[in-house]
Amino acid sequence: MDVEKKHFTCVTCPIGCEIDVELKDGEVVSMEGTKCKKGQEFVSQELGEPMRILTTTIPIKGAKWAMLPVRTDRPIPKRLLFRVIEELTDIERRAPVKMSDVIVRDIAGTGADIVATRSMNREKKGKFV
Amino acid sequence: MKADVTVIGSGPAGLTAALSAHESGAKEVLLLEREEELGGILKQCIHNGFGLEQFKEDYTGPEYAERLIKEIEKTNVRRLLNTMVIDLTPDRAITAVNPEKGIFQIESKSVVLAMGCRERARGSIGIPGTRPAGIYTAGVAQRFVNIDGYLPGKEIVILGSGDIGMIMARRLTLEGAQVKGVYEIMNYPGGLKRNIVQCLNDFDIPLHLSHTVTEIRGKERLEGVVVSRVDEKMQPIGGSEKFIACDTLLLSVGLIPENELSKGAGIELSPITKGPATTETMETAVAGVFSCGNVSTVFDLVDYVAQTGMTAGRNAARYATGDWKKERPSVEVIPGENVRVLFPQRYSFQDDLILFIRSAKPIESPLSIDISPLEMHIKKLYARPNEMIRVKVPRDKLKDITESIEVNITER
Ligand SMILES: Cc1cc2nc3c(=O)[nH]c(=O)nc-3n(C[C@H](O)[C@H](O)[C@H](O)COP(=O)(O)OP(=O)(O)OC[C@H]3O[C@@H](n4cnc5c(N)ncnc54)[C@H](O)[C@@H]3O)c2cc1C
Repeated sequence: MDVEKKHFTCVTCPIGCEIDVELKDGEVVSMEGTKCKKGQEFVSQELGEPMRILTTTIPIKGAKWAMLPVRTDRPIPKRLLFRVIEELTDIERRAPVKMSDVIVRDIAGTGADIVATRSMNREKKGKFV
Repeated sequence: MKADVTVIGSGPAGLTAALSAHESGAKEVLLLEREEELGGILKQCIHNGFGLEQFKEDYTGPEYAERLIKEIEKTNVRRLLNTMVIDLTPDRAITAVNPEKGIFQIESKSVVLAMGCRERARGSIGIPGTRPAGIYTAGVAQRFVNIDGYLPGKEIVILGSGDIGMIMARRLTLEGAQVKGVYEIMNYPGGLKRNIVQCLNDFDIPLHLSHTVTEIRGKERLEGVVVSRVDEKMQPIGGSEKFIACDTLLLSVGLIPENELSKGAGIELSPITKGPATTETMETAVAGVFSCGNVSTVFDLVDYVAQTGMTAGRNAARYATGDWKKERPSVEVIPGENVRVLFPQRYSFQDDLILFIRSAKPIESPLSIDISPLEMHIKKLYARPNEMIRVKVPRDKLKDITESIEVNITER
């Protein structure tokens, strides 16, 4: 089997080690550039199932602004980022909303909830636009 | 109107300063904000990565802001929204304007400047070509997408690898746009490593170092840009031009402190940071006027912004309550070898000296930060211009200084 080479920048801490990994049949045969154990853990996570927090917005009605910022309440698999965005296409909220309110539970089967990252009051006054 | 401490601007710097002035015993604290909400730039920074140092939490910008706003709401700090400060005099008379009061004056015992920074625009970097629609600074695009809910374009080129540009590269990709590449004139990236990994690499967005946009094409709407490779002197190399079709160009080419008010008040500005020169107490050259956050120098972490806000607020309260005496003149803090940015610029023997340092070039080998005339050598594994280094020098070590303090970075 060929040896496959991969490069990672560890983002566990600000040092940001540049790590070179060699893989054979999907198994790590060598790893260079890590300065600590966390770097190794970072690489195995990235090789297995890289996880990311997703932050985005959804439309909100009756508030001062058009969009409500939201996030996943925990990291989700990177490969599902676009799936989650797609599942959010038809989601809309009506003001008021409180920070940390759950907008969608267990989005795309990730186990993560989509939560609001700010509060928005209902606009009481009518307003010309 | 009268106040003990008046804070101008309600981003993380201003919010922290107002809280800290209140907690330090100032009775009448006034917080002025030109927008209709508190929070500053954080409201549009919907991504996470805020407060990792300060709270050991990974907040988004709005979450970080709301936390501070809730604290402020528990106090009697007076908040005036939609209130723009238009003038400040050296004797701390503030002129502001808002819809209810029109133009009005505030007399304040001390003032904290926390107006943040603004983005450099196309004019300040001078790219030749036409003037079509479709060219925005990254921060303006961020506001469009995250607050107003519309996409500035479909095919995007980003000039400059500052954090905001990289964050927008990811944001626009997630929203369905195609980001064709990020072009950086320097031979190293402008932003943090974590943003290169999580905003560019994660989405296979190429980062081209030593490249710049040399021409803009398009009549009504942008049709594309010409990019060129640059040499060590950052001059475009003839023959390396490449046309890239795009309908949107985002500029992420740096931030500069908002310093109109500071200039009007006769405050000495630092040629290096472009913001007011201050001592470790955050006091400017104008007595009783303090400055913090991005209006002082552009920080890359909100945690550092908040730290300067806390210091400014505490000392502004001391000044206002008469608990302020200067026993000896301040000394200069001078950037030496390999140091591009150094903040603060003076030391006045009242507090610990917390230095914020940017190196002049990337150094990826062991080095030492030398603080002379003290025999203080702080060892580091690397120094990068895009990552501010924070160094604390305790007050008792500094008491015998008479001339000036110099900071050098020496490669070991
Ligand atoms: C787009 C962007 C992304 C960032 N991403 C991160 C990140 O991921 N992690 C991180 O830790 N840090 C990040 N930062 C850095 C950090 O958030 C900022 O440095 C911080 O918000 C600056 O705070 P500030 O209070 O100095 O300024 P600002 O937040 O800009 O606040 C200044 C306030 O002053 C008001 N003002 C200005 N002039 C006047 C006037 N004349 N009268 C009344 N009010 C006035 C403005 O309206 C504004 O509300 C980012 C910064 C930006 C710009």
